[in-house]
Amino acid sequence: MPRSAGGIEVEGTVIECLRNANFRVELTNGHQVLAHISGKIRKNYIKILPEDRVLVELSPYDLDRGRIIFRYRT
Amino acid sequence: MNSLPSRPGLGAHAVTISRVADNQWHAIENDLVVGRGHASRRLDGRIFLSIDTWRDEVFDQLAAAMLADQRAPRYTVVDETDRDLAASWVRAGFATWRRETEYVVRTEFPTAAAPDGVVIATGDQVAKAPLRELDLAIRAEVESTVGWYTMPAEVLPWQGGTMPIDPSKYTVAMQGDRYVGLVRVAMMTRRPRIGLIAVLAAEQRRGIGRALLSQLLAGLHRCGYEAATTEVDETNKAATALFEGLGGRRTGSSLELIHRPGKA
Repeated sequence: MPRSAGGIEVEGTVIECLRNANFRVELTNGHQVLAHISGKIRKNYIKILPEDRVLVELSPYDLDRGRIIFRYRT
Repeated sequence: MNSLPSRPGLGAHAVTISRVADNQWHAIENDLVVGRGHASRRLDGRIFLSIDTWRDEVFDQLAAAMLADQRAPRYTVVDETDRDLAASWVRAGFATWRRETEYVVRTEFPTAAAPDGVVIATGDQVAKAPLRELDLAIRAEVESTVGWYTMPAEVLPWQGGTMPIDPSKYTVAMQGDRYVGLVRVAMMTRRPRIGLIAVLAAEQRRGIGRALLSQLLAGLHRCGYEAATTEVDETNKAATALFEGLGGRRTGSSLELIHRPGKA
């Protein structure tokens, strides 16, 4: 079974909605990343707002970038 | 599982596209999943695709594999400001099909009176039988006029059988003993979402929609919600005027893209 190249998934909190469908997310370790939303979230019309708790998959090419793959129901 | 190897670029590992389930594709490079594709069928029968990867060339290979054996149109949704993603889908042969504007409407708004002879009811005042009758009538009107594809994702055609209907989600306009208009709201995690507002064709242009919406917003305000969201198809001038007339603020827009077989 192949492993995911992204691999690192980290929880965080959306602190800002930016232009170009990007979000600034503060991870639980305090690090901030620029994240876009995954295709599945977009397809399902799930809205991401500041203060939302989310799960972010970090880019293997740039740890300052990520993809929001889940929004928690809180 | 079907695998489709691709030629590696200079200095790169070969990427293999594998269909790991009916609706899922993986791009695998050096035994690592470097991209994922997903297809989902909406209740209106249309199939929507999504691709998540970090590299354009992997996106292109996944898209080619996902579109290889299609016999019906495929769709996808992108945020209009996400030009990179939109460009990737255009490279794969997709073209813009329709556009939806997203609105945020503040709930603190003066309530508009219903026209003479019309009463607005909500919550436990809404009865199931006339609501179902109105819902079916509106569905028939949509199907025979603009079609479901112009509606947001949550406004779905009835698939037959016993249709679940929850009156607590509706505010209705009553005229005598029949319902002539409705608005349905979904209580999302942070902000309520107005999923559908509809008035029977014969009763439109009387201010019923505005009365319905303003009373719904007033109710949400009493419950502590400051704003609600909605999406409007850009060709729906009446809905655009209604939400903008109630102070709705445009917060973004989504593009729905289409790929037709043989048009890549």
